[in-house]
Amino acid sequence: MTGNEWLAIAPFLAIVGLAILTVIIDIIWPDHDELIGTVAVLGVLTAMALTVVAGPLPGPIGALPSSGQEIFGGVYVRDGLTSFLDLIFMSIALLTLLFAPDYLRPRGLPMGEFSATLLFAISGAMLLGAARDLLILFLGLELMVLPGYMLAGYAKRDGLSTEGAIKYFLLGSFSSAIFLFGLAFTFGYLGTTRIAEIGKALATYASGEQVGHTLPAALVMGLAFLTTGVAFKIAAVPFHYWTPDAYQGSPTPVTGYLSVGPKVGAFALILRLFVEALGPLRGDWVIFIGILAVLTMTLGNLSALGQDNVKRMLAYSSIAHTGYILLGLAVYAGASDPHVQETGLQAVLFYSATYAFMNLGAFACVAALQRRPGVTSQIASFAGLGRRAPLLGALMTLFLLSLTGIPPTAGFFGKALILLSAVQAGGWLAVLAVIMMLNAAAAAFYYLRIVVFMYMRDAPANAREVTVGAFTKVGLALAAIGTIAIGLVPPITTVVYDAALKAAAALMRA
Amino acid sequence: MIDLGGFPILSAIVFGPLIGAVVLAILPRENKVLLRRVALLISLIVFGLSLLLVIAFKPGTDGFQFQERASWIPAFGINYHLGVDGISLILVVLTTTLTWISILASFSPIHDRVKEYMISFLVLEVGMLGVFLALDLFLFYIFWEVVLVPMYLIIGIWGGPNRIYATIKFVLYTLIGSLLMLVAILATAFSYQAATGTWTGAFDYLTLRGFGFDGTLQVLAFLAFFLAFAIKVPMWPFHTWLPDAHVEAPTAGSVILAGVLLKLGGYGFIRFALPLFPQAAQQLAGLIIVLSLIAIIYGAIVAMVQPDLKKLVAYSSVSHMGFVTLGIFIFQQQGMQGAILQMVNHGVITGALFLCVGVVYERTHDRTIAKMGGLAGRTPVYAMLFGFFMLASLGLPGLSGFVGEFLVFLGTFAISPIAALIATFVIIIGAAYLMWMYQRVVFGELSEFLASLGHHLTDITRVELLTLTPLVALTLLFGLFPGLVLDLVSHPVDQILAGLGHGAAVAVGR
Repeated sequence: MTGNEWLAIAPFLAIVGLAILTVIIDIIWPDHDELIGTVAVLGVLTAMALTVVAGPLPGPIGALPSSGQEIFGGVYVRDGLTSFLDLIFMSIALLTLLFAPDYLRPRGLPMGEFSATLLFAISGAMLLGAARDLLILFLGLELMVLPGYMLAGYAKRDGLSTEGAIKYFLLGSFSSAIFLFGLAFTFGYLGTTRIAEIGKALATYASGEQVGHTLPAALVMGLAFLTTGVAFKIAAVPFHYWTPDAYQGSPTPVTGYLSVGPKVGAFALILRLFVEALGPLRGDWVIFIGILAVLTMTLGNLSALGQDNVKRMLAYSSIAHTGYILLGLAVYAGASDPHVQETGLQAVLFYSATYAFMNLGAFACVAALQRRPGVTSQIASFAGLGRRAPLLGALMTLFLLSLTGIPPTAGFFGKALILLSAVQAGGWLAVLAVIMMLNAAAAAFYYLRIVVFMYMRDAPANAREVTVGAFTKVGLALAAIGTIAIGLVPPITTVVYDAALKAAAALMRA
Repeated sequence: MIDLGGFPILSAIVFGPLIGAVVLAILPRENKVLLRRVALLISLIVFGLSLLLVIAFKPGTDGFQFQERASWIPAFGINYHLGVDGISLILVVLTTTLTWISILASFSPIHDRVKEYMISFLVLEVGMLGVFLALDLFLFYIFWEVVLVPMYLIIGIWGGPNRIYATIKFVLYTLIGSLLMLVAILATAFSYQAATGTWTGAFDYLTLRGFGFDGTLQVLAFLAFFLAFAIKVPMWPFHTWLPDAHVEAPTAGSVILAGVLLKLGGYGFIRFALPLFPQAAQQLAGLIIVLSLIAIIYGAIVAMVQPDLKKLVAYSSVSHMGFVTLGIFIFQQQGMQGAILQMVNHGVITGALFLCVGVVYERTHDRTIAKMGGLAGRTPVYAMLFGFFMLASLGLPGLSGFVGEFLVFLGTFAISPIAALIATFVIIIGAAYLMWMYQRVVFGELSEFLASLGHHLTDITRVELLTLTPLVALTLLFGLFPGLVLDLVSHPVDQILAGLGHGAAVAVGR
């Protein structure tokens, strides 16, 4: 392998190596949670630095060529999309690692296994973002979700955690099977597992097609199974039923991770599979994505309105955010102008990045509040938080405002970009844009309800003091900086924006 | 006339309060006296800067002065662009004046969480001033939303018993309107980009102003803008949030709400909706005039039967703001000048009336008209001031309320005598509900309820006098010399009407 080829896979190897290292440290020095946490955090930072060194990122950043670097005969690629997604995944890992100790230690849950499991899951997500072959894609998917099941049931003596994990596991493996079935049909018809070749074959097919054509039955089956499988993974309505239980039952830092990690991971899968491989058939699948987007954002928000448990509320709200991201995908598939298509993909990526920071931040605040075992995630626990812990209350407000999409937070700019792409596409996609904004207004109701409890209700008489550990403080600061800076600091906005554009361009080129 | 050189006075005015908010955030929360004084000092400095702007402003010239422009998001041609003309100038001064008065008026009523309260007020001022000075549609939208959050907190934290219902209603109404406005802003920007092939100027007010948008887009976009502004004004039937918000808000919150926030809607119509979408504005003007007339009559009739002082003033606002929208959409020089004058006068007079209600509430913790009576004997100075503003509100010649309404009548009469007739009729109802209210509260025997308060029922304090005196002066000033305002706004008004094709409207008087 050449130097560039090593560089292309270095971030992935670094995360896998780090996962193994934490296991080894845990064996040699058991119960040294802080040591493991520190090593894991520093390791992830190193891997992030490696990713920046490798690139290709906007402007002069990154050693690899703009067109990307393929290795292993083209089944693994590091292009703009890979690096952009890797940075999101590693940020998710970093924040989760920082938030976890405060929650795990008081409950006697070990940090060593947590770090290792989480890092393996992240490596799976990173593999998804880099896969150019259906087999690698499936490998990445399973590597991402299997540790996820373990994390969901991490509090193994807690009935809710076990129940959520089992539901997550059953539906997860079920959907993986459906997805695999879809891959089999696609492979069976086209005779190749290479994404580039599938794309090429379908492009010839699509360009030679007659008006009023019908897809071959095998491809229809393949497309249907793949869409269903993926819809389960991103928890799109009506394939979302596992989410609220899995999210509510899991330990809170795990819930935070589950609401962004596997979700962005599944979107990485969608980008590689549906855009790169099945892109030529987009005229056939766009309608399903459009319907899924509307159903997902609307039902997600409506269900969130009635929730009294904040974790469950955020679970439903994460379903709604999936719907917003799906709209960006629908813009790619539905628009006729390549520039608008590219903007749609860019919006998907940009929104994913902002969503990771604001959603993890919100869950971190819930976790910090629950540091003392016995504090539930019911909304009543937030009563008077603005007075009991002013800084935590202010940060939670910031994250909630960003999730609502109030300027000048990052969440606003994410929504604005999706909106802009949909308006540009025009037609029925512009109607979806209006539906999205009405949804955003409805969502304000339940997000602000938490603010009402924090600032406008008095704390119960027996409310205890809220303390926050050092790791959590750093993590909260990072999430808050991300949530503010991506929106408000022009150079940072531009970097993230350009990186997302470069990633979208890499997809469009394929 | 002074020359400011290159000093970015507009940015200093807009972000001065923000710097102040940061300073307050650092100060210790226990020292309430210091917090109050610093907040007042900052608002006075901003007020001073706005007076400096008045002195340096050259009236009678076309276009915007003191423009500041910096590239913000170059990919979409979004700029940081501020500028001031006669219309924004007087509204800026109105805002800075009412802000320091409101902060001073909060000294004694607000004891709880003074720090957060003062920070909210200063951030609110940033948003309001930004709306009046922004010349980039994206920037305008951001300031528009910035207003929302602090007002939400001010009503929700420091409001009356039913404050949470009121504040959520306020936010949801406003948000639904503004989010659709965002869709419209993006749609017009894209339509500009599609027509010219460049994003440069796609959000720039000065560029878009003369740009003839396609007819269908104009109607749809105008409706979205209309909804946002009509909710804010508020026009019938979008007014239902207003009485709730006013009743629950603390006194200073009501002052700002009536004094400035409602003006954001009127300003939006004049500055954005008319010049950007002239055709649509003309098509829909008839409908809006009818809605304005309904608001004028409905507000007055409903005000008559209100048992609560604040609710009465709130409904009178609906009626008075109906004159503003009537004056704007009659598309006639005097009418529009009158509308702007009416905005300023309504801000001053209604702000003062809310302060007057606040004075009673401070002493009685009640606002029920039926429980009052005979205040003239115990609190003569207060009764005199209250009477002064009551007369100004019903439009006594010589006081400022008269001139605005008169000009609106004049303009309306030139275009549609029937509409003018209907509107004039309401003057009688206006006189009725205000004088009847005044008679019940101030004249007659001292009521049992008030008598039971004993020595708590004191006459107006020095601080309260300090808040009301400037408003007395302004009411007299604008009543006797309306030309001060009219000279400032006549050029911009002519320009806006010329853009609508009504440049050579019937010139009555002047």
